Amino acid sequence: MSIHDIIEGKKQWRAHVARVKALPPDYRIVYQEMQRYLFKVGPVALTDGTLLPGIVDFFEEGAASGKGVLELIGEDVAAFADGLIKDTPTYAEAYQEAVGGAGD
Amino acid sequence: MDDLTEMLKGTLEGCVLQIIGAEETYGYAITRRLGELGFGDVVEGTVYTILLRLERNGLVQITKRPSESGPPRKFYTLNDAGRARLATFWAKWEYVSTRIDKLREGVR
Amino acid sequence: MNFWEKITGSDLSRDWKAFEARAEALPPEYRAAWGQIVSHAFPHGNFTGRNLTPILDSALSLLEETAADGLSVREVLGDDIPGFTAALAGGEGARTYRDRWREQLNRNVARKLSRLEG
Repeated sequence: MSIHDIIEGKKQWRAHVARVKALPPDYRIVYQEMQRYLFKVGPVALTDGTLLPGIVDFFEEGAASGKGVLELIGEDVAAFADGLIKDTPTYAEAYQEAVGGAGD
Repeated sequence: MDDLTEMLKGTLEGCVLQIIGAEETYGYAITRRLGELGFGDVVEGTVYTILLRLERNGLVQITKRPSESGPPRKFYTLNDAGRARLATFWAKWEYVSTRIDKLREGVR
Repeated sequence: MNFWEKITGSDLSRDWKAFEARAEALPPEYRAAWGQIVSHAFPHGNFTGRNLTPILDSALSLLEETAADGLSVREVLGDDIPGFTAALAGGEGARTYRDRWREQLNRNVARKLSRLEG
């Protein structure tokens, strides 16, 4: 199962990437850094196909209203990113549970 | 009042549920409403993460409508599960606040 | 028996063939890092490929996205790929790594936004 494929095929992923590219530079920077973070953390919600496009929806709205990205989400980008995945487990947690290892 | 973030953490979801429960509304309007109440340092992004969780937990119904400026907007109303969650929030609030008031008044 | 042989013939081989094809398309430096991640993801030979598939997919996606941005592997993963991989799988040090990734996110954003203004 691939994150790219989840957004229903490569075509949709390319369309998603094109939307990211069309964002104002400050939004694009924050989106890309957040995506990088989310790929590392690996929340299960990443593959339901709505998390990343949802962020772009929200950023497009914010940009359209003329706000800067930090004005929209606050200075602590990591706290915003964590808020997006607060109630979903990560793959690592699922994996640790499956192999019977302690998570920490 | 500055720096309410920590104190608001557990109650913000309840506030958002209450605002949605009063009438169908959308993210920016919710943030504005919180600002009018005096919670000015709650940014739209924080409200967005709360709305996302309400959606994920099946507490709201969402309708997408076109907006005057730019992309379509998501409008939120509470469903039955959302109304139940809101009732639970107020019950908990009642419990905590009456006890804290008692503590403050020195009642034993 | 190496890892690739181990999985050949399993119902996971389709996923892995797709991974291989995607890894082939990466620049050499990234391909090497991917190889390291894969080998470190199976520390005890305790084969649970199905559970690891999404973790590795997410790591591969990270490599693809950052390779496209022209970043160096070191900039993305740091020096300690075994540690990074263990953290991805939620093993020892996962919490420390999560804190580090958090700081990295805010630091990178601050640096890149200030460059934008400058």
